[in-house]
Amino acid sequence: MTTTAITQAEIDAVFPTVAETMADALGCDVEDITPNVSLIEGLDAESIDFLDMVFRLERAFKIKIPRGKIVENARGNLTETEFEQKGIVSEVGMAQLKAYLSEVPADRFKSPMKVADIPRLFTPETFCKLVVQAQRDAKAA
Amino acid sequence: MSDHFAAFSFVDRITGLVPGTRAHGSFAIPAGIASFPPCLMAEAVGQLAAWVAMSHIEFRGRPVAALARETRFVRAAKPGQTLDLAVEIEDCDDDAVAYRGWADIDGARAIELSDCLGPMLPAAEFDDPLAMRERFAVLNDGGAAPGRFHGVELPRVTRDGGVPGSSAQGTLAVPVSAPFFNDHFPRRPVFPATLMLDAQIALALALAHESAHWPAGTPLSPARMTHVKVRSFTPPGAQLAVGAQMRPGADGEATVMLSAQADGKSVATARVVITERKLQ
Repeated sequence: MTTTAITQAEIDAVFPTVAETMADALGCDVEDITPNVSLIEGLDAESIDFLDMVFRLERAFKIKIPRGKIVENARGNLTETEFEQKGIVSEVGMAQLKAYLSEVPADRFKSPMKVADIPRLFTPETFCKLVVQAQRDAKAA
Repeated sequence: MSDHFAAFSFVDRITGLVPGTRAHGSFAIPAGIASFPPCLMAEAVGQLAAWVAMSHIEFRGRPVAALARETRFVRAAKPGQTLDLAVEIEDCDDDAVAYRGWADIDGARAIELSDCLGPMLPAAEFDDPLAMRERFAVLNDGGAAPGRFHGVELPRVTRDGGVPGSSAQGTLAVPVSAPFFNDHFPRRPVFPATLMLDAQIALALALAHESAHWPAGTPLSPARMTHVKVRSFTPPGAQLAVGAQMRPGADGEATVMLSAQADGKSVATARVVITERKLQ
């Protein structure tokens, strides 16, 4: 499957609503939601917050975001076994992950990286991309 | 009589079911109990949603209380009355269930929940899936025997800090044992989040009664609870550090920000709006 890269203009278009939605879910000020802050390490988000944010974003944008979609999107064209082995992201998987999460500074990608730790990398911009992709999928359907 | 499906179970009968989509049910509040607080009505609605969700995924998982955007308290429920329950499932899979629902008493709305979301956890960790399947069949086929619930002792917060009428801190001592732990849940006892929220509402009301925001003696009651987020399970015997902060508002209302922590970690947060009226 070939997909056109998500543009900065598309991200900028959804960011204000994403930030407002996230601030409400996390109980913080909207000013705290900068595009590249780590949701877990910077804003103390937990797994229940991710569920909450996805639910709220679905409502706010009238889109459907299948759970686990971020990791699926990050995997791109790689199969699950190409992307990870025994819960650890493979070398080719890491390259794909870095390309997908291009907004995340390189030093935040630990090696070896557990698949379970991928959410530690997520930022508001990651969710913007998720929203944009869901909007594109909805239009294509 | 066993406490299982009795001591903390609030659906007697499922009267209409569209699998995975919606359901109607009922619960007869036993006449002999002391009270049936609003949070237990919310629990009843949530339990009906849980039955629909669990059956939809073949009892592989069970939802747990996590998020409720808004709960509106409209009328009080009295022992001897019957709750007519309804839920609409907005989304349900092996990961989570999203739903809205309500309870009516004598044809009038008593409570309404919207934008609720509960993650699914492995059902077998909490109860015997076979027993749950059998119970679901009973609820759908004539219903369970009424009068199984014998009331519940409602834990209350012991205050130890704060500014009267403005803020409060205290401890909610979760009982080490209670009949409801045998039902919620048989394989993994968990303090029901609705009982924690009930204690927090009681604290918020106490704070509101002390406040100068209303003239002394004004009847006050919870109008709605919003932003409920339960982050972790509370086991029997836990000591919860509870906080409440009042923010006076307009039109005879005030919002009380609620928090509960265990060992310094957030267990739950919520807001309750207190209004100038007596819940009928």
